[in-house]
Amino acid sequence: MNGSVPGADHRAERGPVLRKGVGIPGSGWFDPRGRALGGFAFSANRVTGLGLVFYLYLHLGVLSMLLFGEPTWNHFIRLATSWVFLSLDVLLILGILYHGLNGIRVALVGSGLVADRQRALWWSLGTVGTIALIGAALHIFGSK
Amino acid sequence: MSAADAGGRRTYRVYRYKRGEPGWRFDMFDVPITRTVLEGLRWIQLHLDRTLAIRHSCMHASCGTCGVQVNGREALACVTPADDLGATITVEPLANIPVLTDLVVDMREFVARFPDEIPSLRAAEQLPEATPLEGIDAYDRFEDCIECGLCLSACPVSATSNAYVGPAALAAAQRLLEEPRGADTDRVLEWADAPFAGWRCHAAFECTAACPSDVRPAERIMALRGRLGGRGATS
Amino acid sequence: MTPSAPRPARDAPHVLIIGGGGTGGALAHDLTLRGLLVTLVERGEFTSGTTGRHHGLLHSGARYAVGDHDSAVECIEENAILRRICPGSFEENDGLFVALTDEDMAYYDDFVRGCKECGIPIQELTTDEALRAEPRLNPATKGAVRVPDGTMDAMRMPLRFFATAKHHGAHLYNFMEVVGLLVHAGAVTGAAVRDHVTGTEGEISADVVVNATGPWSEKIARMAGVDVPIVPSPGVMLAVRGRLCNMVLNRMHGSGDGDIIVPQRALSVVGTSSWTVEDPDDLDVPEDHVRRMWEEGAKLIPAVSHAEFRAAWSAARPLIGSRAGDSGRELSRTFKTIDHADDGMEGFVTITGGKATTLRGMAELCGNVICVKLGIDRPSRTRTFVTLPHTAFYTDRDRRPA
Repeated sequence: MNGSVPGADHRAERGPVLRKGVGIPGSGWFDPRGRALGGFAFSANRVTGLGLVFYLYLHLGVLSMLLFGEPTWNHFIRLATSWVFLSLDVLLILGILYHGLNGIRVALVGSGLVADRQRALWWSLGTVGTIALIGAALHIFGSK
Repeated sequence: MSAADAGGRRTYRVYRYKRGEPGWRFDMFDVPITRTVLEGLRWIQLHLDRTLAIRHSCMHASCGTCGVQVNGREALACVTPADDLGATITVEPLANIPVLTDLVVDMREFVARFPDEIPSLRAAEQLPEATPLEGIDAYDRFEDCIECGLCLSACPVSATSNAYVGPAALAAAQRLLEEPRGADTDRVLEWADAPFAGWRCHAAFECTAACPSDVRPAERIMALRGRLGGRGATS
Repeated sequence: MTPSAPRPARDAPHVLIIGGGGTGGALAHDLTLRGLLVTLVERGEFTSGTTGRHHGLLHSGARYAVGDHDSAVECIEENAILRRICPGSFEENDGLFVALTDEDMAYYDDFVRGCKECGIPIQELTTDEALRAEPRLNPATKGAVRVPDGTMDAMRMPLRFFATAKHHGAHLYNFMEVVGLLVHAGAVTGAAVRDHVTGTEGEISADVVVNATGPWSEKIARMAGVDVPIVPSPGVMLAVRGRLCNMVLNRMHGSGDGDIIVPQRALSVVGTSSWTVEDPDDLDVPEDHVRRMWEEGAKLIPAVSHAEFRAAWSAARPLIGSRAGDSGRELSRTFKTIDHADDGMEGFVTITGGKATTLRGMAELCGNVICVKLGIDRPSRTRTFVTLPHTAFYTDRDRRPA
């Protein structure tokens, strides 16, 4: 055998792996290009999940202010009733509603119970969530 | 092809990678309008750059070899019209599978994720009112899955983990359970009942959206889970 | 359980096959089983030339029963062999030859007699039987004959030969293009290649170089300064959505345009037409030919006319013969091995012509010629050797069918 087939060694190597345009391993779900509805729902679930975990730590941090006595806590409460803060609260509720309702959707679909109705579930639960969100926002800003 | 496109041109922005060269790059090519993206790529190969490596075989979405990403979306190049993709058409290889060169991915890693048996023939469910001639009990046909890899490329879970077997493999397993044809269904269930097999899917449904052959892998994975759930606490 | 083939000895003769279509793959398989060292180079993906593009007919030979006896006999013999050595790779639903007009019916008796003479098992059917077997068939059918056609996946069936050859030690390189032949003292000693994976060039030397490039045969042959009487003859095919038949449907007449419909999974492929070209690389897809596929296809299955378009493409047949014929249909579809020693060039053989169904037979014939050249007395084993599944091409696991 001649043994001089060009590039034989290079061919045996493992080539680069593309992750949807970003090129960083593990980042594939960031890239919204080419996504259909299900893909956005999945990515949004991850984003809200991370957001809620972050909020959890934030909340614990905030509660720890109770340790620093009444004046510190009252100062925080004044901050917490500002427009900016209340808007963030509405955002938080959006995150909770989305993550929870989409979670129900994933549970129903993922257990094989409602396997082929994922888009219908998205829109119907989305409607429920939107109504709930509007109600919550009205309540929050209405009480200001 | 509309009158406005007759005599029109497109810019192809094509991912290039040759082993032994420093890295990847995008080459820009000025190409006359063609009916499909594959025809455009072959025009580049024939008239502009012989070294452009592309996979193709059947030209009609039966072999599954021409899978690429066109403007960020998984597609079979041979049946993707080139006239409604905008002035610049970006073509990249499939994601989540190692690149061999240019637009060619190394399908070994794709096929390796399948269980040992892959269904190839199935009962032909179309034309149920037909009466096959003597000697033929029932018509056969090939499975829908053409092993193109678009589903694996589109799957966001596969983008985060190389260990996940992926939608095509799980859909194939579910097909074996739907129509065993002598396959060892216990072994298939065993294979699917693993953390990086049936349980790793997160219901993004990108696979079903990308599939050019109506396999509906996402729905099949959910159905597979239904069967796995019914198995009881054996694993 | 089929016996395995031993790895070739280190000093076994080395054959370089140029061309990774069905013929090249089958030849690689045949030669490895005879203990030869085999390297195969293909400039694109395997089967990306003509092989992968055909409609997937497992030919019964019936189409040639009247006009081309030799082709018909080759087809029916290989048809039976392929079903045995590639189990699971065919939809074995048979086919129909259908007479729609009085003109077709005038051909009927010759057709039946021709099939019998060529050893093609047939069954004459009533119109009712045909319509019950294929409900979407044109109800105006006047007569039908059942033939042992089948459907294959045009890429995956040949890929089994590649897979088996690879597992027996053949070195198969796709994306490696031959840019010239090495010629020394009246003999071809190898090929100069460009590897499109790495962008590098190199040389591969061999004891015999085989030109298995189908319609590109002449292009390669000229690199050695010899000629091959190959006429690239393209035809158009049309794929529509919907599995409109399970059997292969053929129009009962001599070869003509749009006279076959082959089911391919959930599509139906209507073929084909014919013209001749100089360059098999730059193929048109003439609109009028595509229109003719729609029209002729609708004659066999009326539902074709409102089916959704999926794809239209061209593929070039490698026809043997001089360039005298205009449309290409007059030339024979049989195959041929040419030992260029007859042209004064040693070490160089061309195998060409043929059809997808005859890939194994072509390889056996060519393998015999090569072995005689090399002074090896080993017969082909491919008639009975069951090939590995196509997925074995991509894995290291030797998963043999039970």
